[in-house]
Amino acid sequence: MSEYVAMEDLDRKAKRARKKELKKIKPGNLERREARVGYLFMLPWIIGAAMFLAYPLGASFYYALNNIRITTMGKVFTFVGYGNFTQILLSDADFPVQLVDYILSTVISVPIIVVFALVIAMMLNQPIHGKGFFRAVFFLPVIIVSGPILSMLTEQGAGSISAIDTQAIGSAIKGVLPSIIADPISDLFENMITILWYSGVQILIFLSGLQKIDKSMYEAAKIDGGSGWECFWKITLPNLKSMILLNAVYTVVFISNNDQNAIIGLIKSSMFSGTKEKGYGYASAMAWLYALIVLILVGLFALMLTTRKGAYEKQVKRAKKAVKTEARQRKKIERRNRRNAKRIERQRARGKIITRKTDSTGY
Amino acid sequence: MAYKGKRINPRKFERGQIKILLIILPLVIFMAMPIIFIINHAFKPMEELFAFPPTFFVRNATMENFTKLMKFSRTSSIPLSRYVFNSVAVTALTMGLALLLTTMAAFALAKIKFKGRNMLVNINQVAIMFVGTAVLIPRYLVICELGLIDSILAHVLPLVAVPVALFLVKQFVEQVPDSLLEAAYMDGATDFQVYRKVILPMIKPAVATASILVFQQVWTNTETSNYFINEDGMKTLTFYMNSLANANNTVAGQGMAAAASLIMFLPNLILFIILQRSVMNTMASSGIK
Repeated sequence: MSEYVAMEDLDRKAKRARKKELKKIKPGNLERREARVGYLFMLPWIIGAAMFLAYPLGASFYYALNNIRITTMGKVFTFVGYGNFTQILLSDADFPVQLVDYILSTVISVPIIVVFALVIAMMLNQPIHGKGFFRAVFFLPVIIVSGPILSMLTEQGAGSISAIDTQAIGSAIKGVLPSIIADPISDLFENMITILWYSGVQILIFLSGLQKIDKSMYEAAKIDGGSGWECFWKITLPNLKSMILLNAVYTVVFISNNDQNAIIGLIKSSMFSGTKEKGYGYASAMAWLYALIVLILVGLFALMLTTRKGAYEKQVKRAKKAVKTEARQRKKIERRNRRNAKRIERQRARGKIITRKTDSTGY
Repeated sequence: MAYKGKRINPRKFERGQIKILLIILPLVIFMAMPIIFIINHAFKPMEELFAFPPTFFVRNATMENFTKLMKFSRTSSIPLSRYVFNSVAVTALTMGLALLLTTMAAFALAKIKFKGRNMLVNINQVAIMFVGTAVLIPRYLVICELGLIDSILAHVLPLVAVPVALFLVKQFVEQVPDSLLEAAYMDGATDFQVYRKVILPMIKPAVATASILVFQQVWTNTETSNYFINEDGMKTLTFYMNSLANANNTVAGQGMAAAASLIMFLPNLILFIILQRSVMNTMASSGIK
C-alpha cells in the first residue's frame, strides 16, 4: 500500500475515489461489539414491541383494506382495496366533520397547554413555601380527568371559568371572525379549566427539565447584569427546547387518544356495529386515517419546535462564508491582473503601446 | 442558594414568595376542584347525590356509600381481597418490566450506535401516535395464540412496551454527557455496569416521571380485563369498581361508584407523593464541571 496522503492534499478525483473506498470498509471489531451490545439492550423491547405494537399495527392495516364480517364460521375477509377509505371520506356523515373540529381544537389548545405548563413549572421551581403540595395539586387532576368523573364535573359547570363571562367573549369573537375559526375559540373559553386540567404531565416534564439546567449559568448571567427576563429568554428557554417539543407531542397524543375524544367513540362504535358496510375493517381504516392526521399535526409542531442552530453557530457560519467569498474575489482580481498584464505585454510587443520614460526632471 | 440538598421547601417564609403565591393560589383553586369534588362526592348521602341543582360540597357527610360497597362485595362470590391482590400484582409486575425495558432501550437508542437505530426510533414515534382501540382485535389474536387467556400475563404483556415513556426517557439519556460514559469505560466498566451505575442514577427524574405515567396507565386500565380475561377471579380491581357503577346503574349504584372512584384515586395520590421527591432530587445534575 502506498503512503497515506491526507485528504486535503488530494485533487478532486482522488478524493472521490478515497471516499468510495472508505464506504466499502466494514466496521471493525470495536464497532461490531458495540452494535451487538446495542441489539442486546434493545432485544427485550423489540420483542415486546413486535408482538404487541408492530404486528397489531400491520394487521390492522391489512384489515383496513378488507371488509370483515364475523359469522359463525369465523371471520370472512373480502378484499376491497381502498374502498373503506373512500367510503369514510365521501359518505360517512360524522367522521369528516368531527375530524375538522378535532384538528382546529387541537391546534388551538396545544400551545395554550404547553405555555401554561411552562409558566406553572417555572413558578413551582422557585423557592416557595409548600411546594410539594402545589405540585400534587397541579399534577393530580390529570388522573381524575381521564376517568368518568369529568362528565360529572362538566355537568355542574365546573369546566369553565365562572368569573369570566364566556358567552360575551364567544359572541364578541364570532362578530369578528368567520364561524369556522370562531367556534373552536369560543369552545376553548368554555372549556378553559378542562384544558388546564390536562396539563399535569406536561408540568412534571418541564419541572424535571428545569432541574437539569446548571445553576451556575444563571449566576454567571446575574454577574454580567442579566435581568430575570433576559435569563428566561437566553438560558431557560434554549435549555428547555427539547422538552417543549416533547410536551407538544405528548399533548397532541394525549388529546387524540383520550377517552373523551369524540373520534375514538366513533371508531369504537363502528367497530362493533353490525351493519353490512361497517365493522372491523371499516374501523381500522378510520383509525389509520385518524393516525395519519395526528401524525401530520405532530409533524407540524415538530417542524416549528425542532432545535435550530444557535445564534453563535450562525455567526460563525456567516463569517466563514464571508472569508471564502473574499478569497474568491481576490483570486478573480489576481487572475484578471495577470490577464491584463499579458495583454499589455503582447500589445507592447506589437508596438502599439509606447511607454514614455519620464524622469523626475521633466516636471 | 440558602438551602441545599434534598429539602424541597425553604425553611422560612420569605417576602419574595408573595408575588408567586399571588399568581399560583387562584390557579390552585381551579386545579384542586376535581380532587375536592371526588372526595366530597364519595361522602354524599343519597339525597345529595341526586339533588338538583347538583351541589359541589357535601353537607351531611356519611360513610353510607363505603359501608354499602363493603356489604355488596361480601355478597358476591369472589372476595374483594382477590381483586386487590390481582391489581397490585399486575401493577407491580408491569411497572417493573416496563421501566426495565424502557430504560434499557433508551440507553441503547441514545448512546450506542448500531444499524437500524433510526428505524426503531421512527417505529416508536409512529406507535405513540396510533390509536389503542384500533389494535384491539389483533392484540386479542396474539394473546390467544400465545395461550395467555385467563393468565396474569395477559394483563401485563400488552402494556409493557410504553412508547411515550421510551420517548421521554430517551430524551433524558441523550443529555447525559458522553465523557461520563467514556470515563466509566476507561475504568473498565462493562456495558451493563455503565447502564446500572451511570445512566440509571443520572436519569432518575425521568424514571420517576415515567413510572407515574406507567402506573396511571396500568392502574386505570380495564381493557385487558374486559377482553383478555374470561374468569372473574383473574380480573382487576379497576374492572370490578367500574362494573359496580355500570351494572348497578340504579340509585344505589351511584353512591357505590362515587366511593369506588375515591378508593381508586387514593393509590395515585400516595404514589405521587412518594415519587415527586425523586422527580426533584437532581440538584447535582450534569456531574461535569
